Parts: sequence; structure tokens; C-alpha cells
Amino acid sequence: MDHPITRREAIKRGLCLSGSIAMTCAVGWPGQGLSEANAEDRKKPFLVEGVGETPGYSVQELTEKVFDAAGGMKAFVSRGDVVVIKPNISWARSPNLAATTHPEVLEAVVRLAFDAGAKKVRIADNTIHSADRCFALTGAGMVAKKTGADLVHPRSSLMRDMKLQGNRLDVWPVFVPFVEADKVINLPIAKVHGLSELTIGMKNWIGGVGGRRNALHQDMHQTIVDLARFFKPTVTLIDAIRIMVANGPSGGSESDVAVANRLILSNDPVAGDVKAAGLFHVSPDSVGYMVLAAKQGLGTSDLNAVAQKRVVL
Amino acid sequence: LKARTLIWVRRVSQGLFLALFLFLLIQTRFPSGGYQDYSLMVASEQDIRITYPVSFFFQLDPLVWLTSLLSGHLWIRGFFWAVAVLLLTLLLGRFFCGFVCPMGTVHHMVSVIRPTLRGKALIQANQKSGGHRVKYLLLISVLVSAVFGLNAAGILDPISLLFRSLSLAVFPAVGNAIKAACDVIAGSDIKPFNLLGYAAEEIASPLFGYGYPAYQAGWVIGGLFLLVLFLNRIRFRFWCRTLCPLGALFGVFSRFSLFRLEKKEGACTGCQKCTLTCQGAASPGPDGDWDGSECLLCFNCFSECPEQAIAFRFRWFPAQNRGPDMGRRAVLGGLLAGVSIPLLGRLDGQVYRVSDPRLVRPPGSVEERDFLRLCQRCGLCMKVCPTNVIQPTLSEGGMAGLWTPRLVMTLGYCEYTCTLCGSVCPTGAIADISGREKVERPVRIGSAYLDRGRCLPWSGNGPCIVCEEHCPTSPKAIYLRSDIQTAPGGTTVKVQLPYVDLRRCVGCGICENKCPVKGKPAIRVMAAGETRSVRNQMLLDI
Repeated sequence: MDHPITRREAIKRGLCLSGSIAMTCAVGWPGQGLSEANAEDRKKPFLVEGVGETPGYSVQELTEKVFDAAGGMKAFVSRGDVVVIKPNISWARSPNLAATTHPEVLEAVVRLAFDAGAKKVRIADNTIHSADRCFALTGAGMVAKKTGADLVHPRSSLMRDMKLQGNRLDVWPVFVPFVEADKVINLPIAKVHGLSELTIGMKNWIGGVGGRRNALHQDMHQTIVDLARFFKPTVTLIDAIRIMVANGPSGGSESDVAVANRLILSNDPVAGDVKAAGLFHVSPDSVGYMVLAAKQGLGTSDLNAVAQKRVVL
Repeated sequence: LKARTLIWVRRVSQGLFLALFLFLLIQTRFPSGGYQDYSLMVASEQDIRITYPVSFFFQLDPLVWLTSLLSGHLWIRGFFWAVAVLLLTLLLGRFFCGFVCPMGTVHHMVSVIRPTLRGKALIQANQKSGGHRVKYLLLISVLVSAVFGLNAAGILDPISLLFRSLSLAVFPAVGNAIKAACDVIAGSDIKPFNLLGYAAEEIASPLFGYGYPAYQAGWVIGGLFLLVLFLNRIRFRFWCRTLCPLGALFGVFSRFSLFRLEKKEGACTGCQKCTLTCQGAASPGPDGDWDGSECLLCFNCFSECPEQAIAFRFRWFPAQNRGPDMGRRAVLGGLLAGVSIPLLGRLDGQVYRVSDPRLVRPPGSVEERDFLRLCQRCGLCMKVCPTNVIQPTLSEGGMAGLWTPRLVMTLGYCEYTCTLCGSVCPTGAIADISGREKVERPVRIGSAYLDRGRCLPWSGNGPCIVCEEHCPTSPKAIYLRSDIQTAPGGTTVKVQLPYVDLRRCVGCGICENKCPVKGKPAIRVMAAGETRSVRNQMLLDI
């Protein structure tokens, strides 16, 4: 256990946080640039699958390799960017239970973003369990401490009502760091889910909003698509090193976990999810939000239309 | 030692102990830097604990030690501190009141800063009156009541009272105000304002957290605290002189103190400066014997006397001081109250017959009868809980259980592997269990039940499954069955209906907390099925 944050440190952090948010705003509204870049990207969707085959392989190395295959982190992050990473760290569970994004993957992505020249890397998720405990147990807190990334503590002042312009969701409180970022990296873990069948990349964005999230289940698939459309990450890296195959999405036992040793990187939010669905032997046609997303033009569920690469370690 | 030096030693000591008390109070929270080392990849075996000894002041407190010994027959963790304090009291008198007690220091400050009493009125107020006997009445009733199986000490114990008042009323009230201001600033359209708001929140978070804390009976606790502070307008340190049972205990033990006030005959000119500044109405003046059991050892009289007619001296010969003036009526009243309170407290049937279903105790709590023998109602568990689910009771625990902890699932829920409340409990009313033990035994605090009339899928109002999604056990205690229900319009709707498996449910309450049905959620937790009670079970096989 470590020392608590001293006041001086807290002031420093606060100033850093506010300063960098100010810088972001001074640069201009980032959403526009992002969506243009995305429109560009969507013309050439790609998918990189990383497979760890050697026993005892390094997850961090695999993460680096996967990004290298897609042209390196520099293809996504420019010098001076504020990068916000959205892992799934919603449950206060230790990493072996595969309820949350693998901390080694998170650490590697943070480091790659810094190496690519990111001015600031933030880790943000509007957690389900108490945020303090999520940060402590999932390993995200340790990653932040080791790498110098900022952990953004979700709170009401960081939720701002925004127009989502979705088919189902209109105005909804959004977790501010994501809209004030230059680049957003989606870093979900692949799990089964009682209602949406699977929770992978697109569903991860439920952690990007606040408000009455427990009412989204009443139209789960359309709200997932609306959120995935609104957040539009620069790139999505799906952590399928350990996947949750039963008792999802919370899990709680190692018997709910299967070791898949996979990472899936894609700029197409639908293609990534479809690829990961294969690990669960689930047909994407049976997952409501994947079908809807493809139909509503968020991406493609036809993996043949995607430039695929495979990296093996 | 010179009088001036003694005064400064006292002030510094008071300040340091008050600062330590506040520091430990602030540290009574989920440790923000307590990150697990994920490279070890172990399950929730590393329990997250607070590194600071946050219950230290309760270990120093002999009333906590004595009542849990008399009532719960338990030698609490760190009780030797309390023994040491009592032994020192035998040597020095009520040094704890004058030098250590943070509650005493608060009253001292309130009394002395902008005093309402001056001159003759102050001398009058500092004369001995019968009022000081009340505290002996309270002490006796608390001790006797402990013997009869109800630990009521915490209601009046100064350490418990101060901790409870600050952490459940003062801090949350201020925190809510700050948080509301931050939210307003964050909602403004002026960017620099937003940033200021975020920065302010970061700075305030160690003290007040990031959310809006809520304590349902907090207003009663805060109101009583204000009242106790207000009493200082009637007499300086009214609480310490008149009400404090811990002060009374020290008063009894200072009967033999070797450190005592001596008066030089003939030197006194009757200026009354000693009485004017006396904090305890201990008759420091020429008229009457010095009252060792009332003296708070503030040394004001020693310092103020212009004739050096008063001096505190340490003498090795065992001359007795005047005994504490309790008065027969206070003793009898205390005995009567001490017997009555536990007996009346059990009249509601909570202990012998049936307990309130709303009385969901924290995980690891001992059986109710033992719980009432140990709980100090200090509020440590309520302050430390990361989800703010633990609340002080008002009526749910009966009269005997006033301000003891219970879980209100609409405000929070019990995190599946979290056992922080038990790790800080000063008396073991909540056992210090590990997260692994909590999950594997399992420790149940209650059980969930469905209200099908309100449940969205059950009532045909639409799909949901939020309770099942959040259920933390593996396999889940809430399971689903696909079915077709009739929707309000008469059409049919495909839904998954939730069911509760009582053998798996631990009563954590996250289902109730996250249920989208507002007001009374469609799935709720009650105490039935809690492992700590044999009587409160539903199933034959657990």
C-alpha cells in the first residue's frame, strides 16, 4: 500500500488536469477533426489479430506487435495529442477474473501513446462499482502510477448533457474527458452478457455516459449503436487475452474465464466486435446491436471487406 | 515547571492530538493510493486496508475498553493503550481531558474564543454547583447497562460522539455544499471557471470524496452536536464538566493522583483570577478544597495567580485527594437508569422475537445480542464504506440500537469482496474478516426478493435484467428465464424474467441499488437469511 496523495500532489494534479483540459479547448473543438479523420479511415477498414502462442509470451509485447502491424501507434496518435483511453474497468475485480481490461494491455497502450508523442494520456471509465475500488483492484491504478497516465475519477461535475443525435438517445449526460480528447482509444474486454449476449467494443461506451444508465437496457441494442456512433474512437483494441465465457458481465470466478490469448485491433467498431464474437462461437447475426450497427452504417460486419492481418508471438 | 510553560505544553498537546484525530478521521476512507500489484495476478486475496491506525483514539479510550469488557466480555484490540491512560490518570489526574481529548479541545476552543461569559457572571458560572454530578449518573448508568448486556457508552463517549458528529454530519454537510458549488461551476459556460471547479474538487476529494455523501440520521447527530457546543454559552466546557461519562471515569480515578494543586496559606488576596479562568469548576481558589476529580488540568489558575499562591506539585506520598462528589441521588439514579435501559431496550422484541427486516448489518457483524454489547456507534464503518451504504439507524434497530450501522441499499450497496468496515471497527462488533472469507463462507447479510408487480419484465413493461447483470456471485444468485409477457397495450413482449436463488444470494444489495425502478425498487434486500443469526434463516439446509 502506498502513501495517500498529499495536498501538494493533489493541487499539482488538479492544475495539470485543468491545464490540459484548457489546452485542449484552446486548440479547438476536437470532435470535428476526429470525425473527419474517421470518415477518412472508414474507407479503408483494417483488422489486426494478435495471437499469443508461445507459452509465457509477453502481453505487452503482443500489444506492441499488433499496433506495429497497423502502422504503429503514430498512425493514430500525433505529437501533442491528449489521448483518452477507455478500458472496461467497471467491476472491482482482480485481473485474473477477466471482468476488466487486462492491465498489461492497458499499460502497453499507455506507453505506446506516450511514445507516439501524446502530451497527456488519460484513463477514463464511468465505473459501475465504486471507482476507487475499481482503480485499485483492476490494476488500472497501478498502471496509472507506473506510466504517469491520469486516472479520471468519474463524478457528476464531469458529466455534461450533450446531444447524441442517436436513433433512440437524444440528450444524455456524457463523461466529459471523451469529448475533450484529441484521440480516443477504446480498450474493451470481451465478455458474455445476459441481455446483449456479448459485451465487447461498442457496448463499452455505456461506460462513457452517466445518467440513468440502468434504463438503457430497455432498448439495449439501439442505445449501444447510438453511443458507439457518438463516441467514434480513433481505434479499438479488444482485449481477448482472457475472456469471460460464463456468468457475465460480472463473473467472479476463474471458472467463468477462458484463455483466448488474442488481441483484436480495428478502426471499424463493428468489424472488431464481429471478429471477437467468433471467439465465443457466436454468430454476429444473433447479436442485435451488431446487426443494427452494420445496417445503420457504423461499420461492416463482413470481415471479407476488411484488410486483415495476423500477428503471432 | 513554570506555569506559562505548562500552559504552552498543554496547548501544543491539545492542538497535536486534535490534529491527529482529524487526520485519522480523514484517513478513515478507502485508501486512494492502495493499488494492487496486478503482476501477481492473484484473486482478491490482497485485502485493501488502511495503513493508518484509524481507531487509535478508541483504543486510548478506557470507556470503550471497560464497556466492551463488561458487556461483551472481550479484550478489544489495543486495549493496553486504555489501561495505560487509566494508570497515568492515577498518577496525574484528568490529564486526558486537559491534554489529549479532542472533544475537550473543541469545547475549550469554543468556550475561550469569543466567550459569552465575563467578570462576575463567569466567576459565578465557575463556582461548584450540583450539575457536575450528572456525569457520574451517566457513567454509572453506562457501566451498569453494559453489565446488563447493552453497550450504550458510544452515545455519550466523547470520542465516539465527536467522530460520529464530524464524519456523519459536519464533514458530509460541508462536503455536499462544496460538491454542489463545484457542480454549478462545472456547468458554467465559462471555461476557466470549469477548470477551477475541477481543480477545487481534486483538492477537496481526500476530505469529502467525489460524490454527495448521505447519512439519513445525520441531521439528528449534527443537531445534537450543535446543541452540545451551544451549551458552552452557559458554562465553559459544559460538556466536560457536566455530561462527559469518560470525564467522570477519569474523575473517579484521579482520587489518588500524585499530581495536585497546592495552595499557599495567606498568600491569597482573594482576587478570584483563578476561579475566573478555571475550566472545570474545581475550586482552585482560597475558599474550599481543590477538587481533583473535577480539575481538567488546564493550569490556567496556576498561571493567572498574581501572588503565586497556587502551584501544581508532584508528591510521592500517597495523600488522597478529595473523592469525586457524586451525590447519593446521582449514584442511585445511575444504577436505576443502568438497569432500566437494557431491559427497556429489549422490550421491542428485536433481540428475543423478531428483528426488523430493514436491519441489515454490515458484513461480518456478530449476532445481534453480541452486536449490542460491542457496537460503539462511533461511525467508523459508516465513514469508511466506499459506497456510503452504511447508515446510522434511527428506529430500525430499536431504542437499544440507536445509531448502530445498517445498510440502506438505495444509497449504496455492499461490494462483494470489500471488508473495510470490519477492519476498522474498534470493538469487533463487525469482525475483521478477509474478502476471501466473505466470498467463500459465504457471509450473507440478508437476501433479495422480487416485487413482481413493480419489476419491468414481470409486469410486461419491457426488457431489463439489470439486477442479473450486476449480481456479483458466481454462479449468479439472480437467474433469468425467457418468457412472453402481456404488455400494457395487450400485445405480447419477449422478456427475460429474473428469479432469486436464495442459496446463492448474499444480500449485497447491488440489485436493489441498480434497479431502474425508482422509489421502492422492484428487487429489495432484507435481513432475512443473514448468516449471523440462526433464527433469521429461511431455508432448512443453510
